[in-house]
Amino acid sequence: MNGNGSGKIAALRSWVDRRYQVTPLFEFLRHKEVPIGSHWMGWYYLGGITMFFFIVQVITGVLLLMYYQAGEATAYESIRFLTTKVPFGWMIRSMHSWSAHLMIISLTLHMFSTMMLKAYRPPRELTWVSGYLLFMLTLGFGFSGYLLPWNKLAYFATTVGTQIVKSVPLLGNWLLEVLRGGQDVTINTLYRFFAAHVVILPLAFVGLIAGHLLFIQRQGMAPPLGEKVAPRGMKFFPSFALRDLLLWLACLMILVTLTVFLPYGPGIPGMDWELGEKADPLAPAYPGIKPEWYFLWEYQLLKEFPPHLFGLEGPQVCVFLIGILFVIWALIPWLDRRAYRDRYSPGFTDFGWAAILFLTFLTLAGWDIGGGAQATDLAAMPKVARICALWTLVAGAVVIGVRYWKFEHRWFILSGAALLQVALHGLAGVSYLSAGAISLGLAIFVMATLRLLRSSGRREDTT
Amino acid sequence: MEEAIGQPSRTSRRRFIDLLLGTAALGWLVSLVYPIIRYLTPLPQTGATGPTRLTRDEAAKLEQNKFVIVPVSGHRVIVLQSQDQLFAFSAKCTHEGCTVTFLPGQSAIWCPCHDGRFDLSGRVVSGPPPQPLAKYVAKRQPDGGIVISEEKTA
Repeated sequence: MNGNGSGKIAALRSWVDRRYQVTPLFEFLRHKEVPIGSHWMGWYYLGGITMFFFIVQVITGVLLLMYYQAGEATAYESIRFLTTKVPFGWMIRSMHSWSAHLMIISLTLHMFSTMMLKAYRPPRELTWVSGYLLFMLTLGFGFSGYLLPWNKLAYFATTVGTQIVKSVPLLGNWLLEVLRGGQDVTINTLYRFFAAHVVILPLAFVGLIAGHLLFIQRQGMAPPLGEKVAPRGMKFFPSFALRDLLLWLACLMILVTLTVFLPYGPGIPGMDWELGEKADPLAPAYPGIKPEWYFLWEYQLLKEFPPHLFGLEGPQVCVFLIGILFVIWALIPWLDRRAYRDRYSPGFTDFGWAAILFLTFLTLAGWDIGGGAQATDLAAMPKVARICALWTLVAGAVVIGVRYWKFEHRWFILSGAALLQVALHGLAGVSYLSAGAISLGLAIFVMATLRLLRSSGRREDTT
Repeated sequence: MEEAIGQPSRTSRRRFIDLLLGTAALGWLVSLVYPIIRYLTPLPQTGATGPTRLTRDEAAKLEQNKFVIVPVSGHRVIVLQSQDQLFAFSAKCTHEGCTVTFLPGQSAIWCPCHDGRFDLSGRVVSGPPPQPLAKYVAKRQPDGGIVISEEKTA
């Protein structure tokens, strides 16, 4: 760059600065740093990667809108036309689908990494909550977008998925009708989901992401627990931003490769967007109807509940339980009292791992791993449970081993309980819910005993 | 409140005005939200009600597949044929609302979504459905046509 050029830039900058006073902003960005701690820096990039996939979603989504026509006689047909006739139409649709799955993967990793690193502790509680809401909206994007091609699989997945709101006390029926635009899933449902998918959710998402990013810019990224002031920092500009950019480029290459070589997905249930047959409300559901992979755990949990429980209908209890789990997850910053005071909270690290193991088993079982051809057969269910339990136990053993030797964790009560439930259910044949109740009861008993022992020990120390 | 009798205090007057303002704001909000709620609440379904006669296509499907799903008064109804007997049930699984199918070999009605099974009187045999399927009446007319009607509740 010659002196003349930089002089012009400086003149432009001072022109802008005289009008909008941007110098403080530049100063802020110049001094912005990312903390370097004893932990792996990789976790800091996951939010950015998620945002990259969201940007891909916006661009490909707008392109899809140019051809998509919501309507009974046009929705399915327009997608078929798009994928078979429009040049690169298949590619845009495939990119949209792949990027959606990759966005959910990176978002899930981002969420669990901030959870395990306790990045939610003060003053960043609202960053956690806004991220949690963004996660919910992302699930909403996935769910609403799924119906838009108006094919058979989407029709039944939406029927089951929307039915869940019926369990909301008092308002359930009304909510269900508003969501579906009628008693059943019809083309009216598609119109509502279309409006949600392309207008309501994106508006809410962009608003929330603005808040989420603003919080992060104001407070900086969370330093590792116990290192209140990060000993060192990496300059955000240019060091971190360039690394971010490089990673985005890598993500784009992965996305394009997957799009080109597997345009209809890897072909595993829940990750397959072959258009298939058009939706027909008067056709029966068919075997192998499964939701997207990130809803499989809920699908499987619904299956594990008996018809009636505690005088309520099974699905109602199940949805109530899922609701409680989601509320607990949102309130983690306030529940984790130790991290709140900036102390190590091994219990919550273990809670995160227990959640992962819980989801792992249900997802594997939802996939009928080990069920083979007769997966829909009732007789195959114990076999599926056994094989999925074995996989989960192996994964759990590896996780606990690595945590014990590499990270010197010593608190495994909740992940132990999650594994005990899986073992009782899959290997000993105890029903899923009884196994869960036994394991949770045992975990609470052990925790209460430990707390009692510790407090009595402390009393002896003082006397 | 003695001072309020002689000379109303400024705070109580302000409070009163705030109350009025708050009520007005609330009313304004309700008048905005109510139309939106009504707008989003779907109208009751319209269309033919009462006994429904199977069309020729539907009857052929029944003959061929041993079952057919038809709309009756705006509901999905599965009509099935087992050992020359006709049965009709709501086709909407009582678990999560999927459309059920008929397994002629096992004389069972099956919902593939979460593996719920019903027998030929609509009762739950296995799986998670909490309630039996609602029964409909399927009658063969003298002219060979099949008419589906809602079960009369005695």
